[in-house]
Amino acid sequence: MRDTPLSNCERDFIRKAITENLRLDGRVPYDYRKIRVTFGIDRGSCQVELGQTRVFAQVSCEVTVPKPTRPSDGILFLNVELSPMACPSFEQGRLSEFGVEMSRLLERCIKESRCLDTESLCIVAGEKVWTIRLDLHALNHDGNLLDCASIAAVSALAHFRRPDVTVAGDEVKIHPLEERDPVPLSVHHMPICVSFAFFDQGKYLLVDPTDKEEKVMDGKMVIGMNKHREICTLQITGEILLLKDQVLRCSNIAVVKVTEITELIHKALEHDRQVRASGGKFGFAESFMPEKLTVNHMETEDVDPGEAQARILQELQESDDTDEEQSHITHYISCFVVVKAPGVGTLGEGGRSTWEVDEETQAELKTEQTATKKSSQQPEGRAETILVDSGDSEEEVTVVMEQIDLEKVGKLASRNGTATLKPGKSSTKAAKKKKKKKKPPVV
Amino acid sequence: MRGEIESNMAVDIRLAGTRETTKRAVPDEIANLVTPGDVITSDTGFMRGHGTYMEDDKLHTSVAGVVERVNKLICVKPVKTRYNGEVGDVVIGRIIEVGQRRWKVETHSKLDSILMLSSVNLPGGELRRRSEEDEKMMRHYLKEGDLISAEVQSVFSDGALSLHTRSLKYGKLGQGTLLQVSPSLVKRRKTHFHHLPCGASMILGNNGYIWLCPTVSEETGTETGGYDQDLQPVTKGDRQTVARLRNCILAQAAHGMMLFDTGILYTYEASLKYPVKDIMKPEVMTEIIEITNHRQEVEGS
Repeated sequence: MRDTPLSNCERDFIRKAITENLRLDGRVPYDYRKIRVTFGIDRGSCQVELGQTRVFAQVSCEVTVPKPTRPSDGILFLNVELSPMACPSFEQGRLSEFGVEMSRLLERCIKESRCLDTESLCIVAGEKVWTIRLDLHALNHDGNLLDCASIAAVSALAHFRRPDVTVAGDEVKIHPLEERDPVPLSVHHMPICVSFAFFDQGKYLLVDPTDKEEKVMDGKMVIGMNKHREICTLQITGEILLLKDQVLRCSNIAVVKVTEITELIHKALEHDRQVRASGGKFGFAESFMPEKLTVNHMETEDVDPGEAQARILQELQESDDTDEEQSHITHYISCFVVVKAPGVGTLGEGGRSTWEVDEETQAELKTEQTATKKSSQQPEGRAETILVDSGDSEEEVTVVMEQIDLEKVGKLASRNGTATLKPGKSSTKAAKKKKKKKKPPVV
Repeated sequence: MRGEIESNMAVDIRLAGTRETTKRAVPDEIANLVTPGDVITSDTGFMRGHGTYMEDDKLHTSVAGVVERVNKLICVKPVKTRYNGEVGDVVIGRIIEVGQRRWKVETHSKLDSILMLSSVNLPGGELRRRSEEDEKMMRHYLKEGDLISAEVQSVFSDGALSLHTRSLKYGKLGQGTLLQVSPSLVKRRKTHFHHLPCGASMILGNNGYIWLCPTVSEETGTETGGYDQDLQPVTKGDRQTVARLRNCILAQAAHGMMLFDTGILYTYEASLKYPVKDIMKPEVMTEIIEITNHRQEVEGS
């Protein structure tokens, strides 16, 4: 079934945000989403989560006859499965054009780079070799399936153990798992694919595009690289023409990313090895965080509120307040969330709605700002605490918190409750969307 | 360019434990609800309609919905489904492809719908045979991403719909808000175009897409044949009306109510005492829906 297409508003919004170095999920253009590598109980099964994108890899082995052209080499067989579970537009069975491209890129990256030593898979030259079969299943598609799949493939290959074999003359004995410990595959290096999305004829680039960004992008470049700075595969698709220095710049970014990701894979492998050695519980069930349906679990981020808080306190100390009001205001500052009922609270003040910013209100805004006391501005002018003297307010000093402060404070407050919120982003988005509705250029 | 906008609206936080589930008032006469796999009847005299299959001489349902029987035909109408088109339905769709003498339109059905070049009004309102020039100019009329309102002209044998915009009330849609609800909530009625007294117009598409826009005056459009998009800035009051309507319709959809213009208007009036964004809160939704149901009963009788 076809995916619902993106509306024109959404496309324009994403493109405009990218020109201002903003992404929908708040990342900087060169950031990856959170990567989680978990291993299962079976050797060679690995699941990788790249944000919401999930790929499951399973490695298995079998003794077969080698290819006649290469009698002393084992065989690595790669299979990519894209099921409707990952995305409604994938068809079961038949691999779409996207699936064929992904499969081919992974083959080039993993097979043709010879990361797996196939000669070590030979048992009897010309007669028996190991066939290593790597199955990749896409569980969820939220953009950048290829990177996720390459990480899963490489991790699974490094995690897998094949049965030990002894060759005594004509006799070949494959030891069962109880007799002898299985032997790891000889993986020379870990080639990882890094995807770049290009917008506006190559002017803007994003690393690790999400699903929506992929639908809007002009073209894509994939660099398959290992941490030794060796490029295993390079492909550019789409409607873009890139300059040489852009390609070089991307490869430099890829080096950094691949090093980080390889570190992560090694850490996960090491953790799994330790848990298995110490006799603890391992596998997918242990590595999943308890997620109950009734608990709203979201990723929390560390935020430093010190600067904003210090500035607010400084503002208040500068103004002339009586002791009573000052203590009231510091009390207000210290508990930013106003609790209305058990489990329900509000944050910030209901302020002026930001729907309409035409010339008149912009002029009004400007005169208001010059008339009231202003704090020192940060270089970008983003975080600004403005003291507004509104006549009908009951408090002597009304501190209007800027949107960025809301965001930071919201995450501060989430320490207590399990609900985390991202108000700043939604209100920026809302403000931007309202802005977008005005068609003729305003100033 | 970024202006200096203060976005300092109050933000509501709610812990998951205190979240209220929407309790719907369930009328007690729905006796024919079935789930996939249920046996409808063991009688072999019936004809099998949509949503049924025969296994072991018994008729089973393949979808979750309501059993309907017309003489000898048994079919199951699913609750949640993709849109199944009938001739004469009004649909809202988005152009996804410009092809040879046709446009492919996405209407949330199982297959993409087709809008033939011969089924549209030419800009300027001329009536003539379509030529090569018209084919080349197709992208100037409608391109990928445009929203249109159209009527179903016929249904192909594979189930794909053939649309037409041969009346002046159909055509390219301008500035407004598109909503997506389940197609089963929009019933077939005499008219799907409503001009509400609050200053907004509404198109209830049978495919579940609903278009809300501020009411435009009717003089434009006659000469241009429905391709002119009014891109004048929309005032704040209009935008608030449209946003409020949107939230009301979503509240009705969340409670599984059928969408009618009268019902939507009642919900709109009941919601006027709340700020627009508060309508999405579960308890506010329940309250305004109850008021709407009550009013509908009173004024219906």
